[in-house]
Amino acid sequence: MIITFHLLALGCYGVATACALVPFVFGRPVPRFLSLGAPLAGAALHVVGVTQLTLVGLAPTLSVLALCLVALQVLSERVLRTAAVSLFTAPLAAGLVGLALLLGFGAGAEPSGGRNAWFILHVTLSVLGVALLALAFISAALYLLQFRELKTKRFGHVFRFFPPLERLDQLNRAALVAGFPILTLGVLLALGYAQRFASGMHLPPAQLVWGVFTWVVLGWAVWVRTLRGWSGRRGAFASIAGFAAVVLVYVALKLAAPGAERFL
Amino acid sequence: MTGTPASGIAVVGVNHRTAPLEVRERFAHAAHEIPRSLERVLGAGAAGGVLLSTCNRTEFYLTDPSEAAAHAIWQLLSERLGDGREASVYGYATRDRDAVRHLYRVSAGLDSMILGESQIQGQVRQAWETSRAQAGPVLHRLFQTALLVGSRVRSETALGAGAASAPSAAVALASKIFGSLAGRVAVILGAGDVAELAAACLVDEGVTVTLVANRTYERAKIVAEQLGTRAATLDEVWEQFTTVDIVLCSTAAPHAVVTWERVAAPIRRRGGRQLCILDLAVPRDVEPAVGQLEHVFLYDIDDLQAVAAQGAEERRGVVPAAERIVDEELEQFWGWYDALKVVPVIREFRDRLEAVRAAELARALHQLEHLEPQDRERVEQLTHALLNKFLHPPTVALKEAASAGRAYALLDALRRLFGLERSP
Repeated sequence: MIITFHLLALGCYGVATACALVPFVFGRPVPRFLSLGAPLAGAALHVVGVTQLTLVGLAPTLSVLALCLVALQVLSERVLRTAAVSLFTAPLAAGLVGLALLLGFGAGAEPSGGRNAWFILHVTLSVLGVALLALAFISAALYLLQFRELKTKRFGHVFRFFPPLERLDQLNRAALVAGFPILTLGVLLALGYAQRFASGMHLPPAQLVWGVFTWVVLGWAVWVRTLRGWSGRRGAFASIAGFAAVVLVYVALKLAAPGAERFL
Repeated sequence: MTGTPASGIAVVGVNHRTAPLEVRERFAHAAHEIPRSLERVLGAGAAGGVLLSTCNRTEFYLTDPSEAAAHAIWQLLSERLGDGREASVYGYATRDRDAVRHLYRVSAGLDSMILGESQIQGQVRQAWETSRAQAGPVLHRLFQTALLVGSRVRSETALGAGAASAPSAAVALASKIFGSLAGRVAVILGAGDVAELAAACLVDEGVTVTLVANRTYERAKIVAEQLGTRAATLDEVWEQFTTVDIVLCSTAAPHAVVTWERVAAPIRRRGGRQLCILDLAVPRDVEPAVGQLEHVFLYDIDDLQAVAAQGAEERRGVVPAAERIVDEELEQFWGWYDALKVVPVIREFRDRLEAVRAAELARALHQLEHLEPQDRERVEQLTHALLNKFLHPPTVALKEAASAGRAYALLDALRRLFGLERSP
């Protein structure tokens, strides 16, 4: 059943990807019921699949990340009319679900301290935090592309179908400022869970050092965005730096200690 | 127009294709003038009327108009034109399906100077509401459906998408930077017609114009008063580059007035906020170097025309789809209108035969005085039943033909065969 629901969700995300590409290939937007309906249908099926997962291991985490990305895509499109976000989020979600299916969901290992509210909250908030940072990265990339289009007076598909600069800046700021504390809370919940329900957290030094480094980079990005008043291109570059730090550190740590049985 | 009172729908008027601006602006009616003009035209012979008057068109829509009504319209417009000039040379008159199609195309923006512009739909609604008391049921239905056509065309096609004129392209460009323009602040450099038009477009989007600056203060003052803001000379405007969001330039200066030296320092004090400069002047008012400043988006008239051309091209591509919607709705309306026309004829036809039945029955009963009352009643029922049986097939055929829009020949035949008064 888990596989079936994930395959159905993958199909819907594929349709959502096609809907996102249509304006840039054919020069005409798809009807809104389709561009919103496909990811919503996928997310609904995905939720059913995710509720049956143990949330332990790489594949379930990637699946939850994909779900969070799609949920944020729909939310940002509904609230800020930033349909072009789906140009990145839809294929990314499809890719993550596809990768999770390839890795396999396994027999469903149990977390060391048991599957309780602390654990579920830790996974959900951590993944949601990462998804928000990914959204901040995507909106920053869209901002820079639209900025270049407007500066160089090209007036092509990017000009027509990407949202206005200020709206992208708003989305970027909101996603970054929300993503950082949510991710931090997710990590703190992991510490609390390890202390209360397991035999404490025994992190390898590399994970600890690079984890703190990533947190500092993200904190800097939030600081310059909120307190130093960085906006526009500088704000976009700060968000990109923050998310790049998350991805690069994760990939480096994963390469150093490979395996799909744990997310990190 | 045919002579004597005629049935049907007609449109008589002028538009941007048939009359120059100087003529159109004399024909334009303020809302309070419309009822009186309509009263005069209807008094000359028409059952109902609506006057649609915008800066691009003045059109009288009439039901059952006489020739005198058309004459009254041209006379009225000629009086507004003055100097003994004849208004009809600038105008047109169409009837029936062509008149309905015309209104539907107008409402859809297909007949607008800027293809697909949406303002016209509001103007059609306004015209209908202003003329409500004089419109009559047919024009009520016609204008209701015209608004429906406009909505369908805009929602089912991309006719209203994109910007299709330089001022609307200016709005589109500013919107791509700021999103909603409501609450944004602009200054206007120059006080010509182009600046005024573009400024009006920005104000329509919620932009607040804080200053109109011009080389001649008096001209700036006139435009500033129209926009409800204050006037200044050009020397006072440079510091505004620190605070405003949009600068609209359209001076008649022979060289650039917005130079790097004048505005670079104020722009650097903006703290990274975007500034959109729209240069509509020829020759250009803004030095290209100003556009190199990081948060400045500088667009000249060529850029605006490129955006407008793109918008117009996109809109032209969907005209066939929009015309199909117009045709669909036209057929529906005409079916309804034709059906409406046969009702009185059918009624007259039935009345005529009923009178014959009643007369013949009375004569027959006079000769059959020996009949019992029940028998007399039965004979009467028989005549009723016979008449209804005879009338049923032609009545159904007429209604069906009317729904299909081909009732004219049948109505004409009926009129000739039975000597009916009402013309089809």
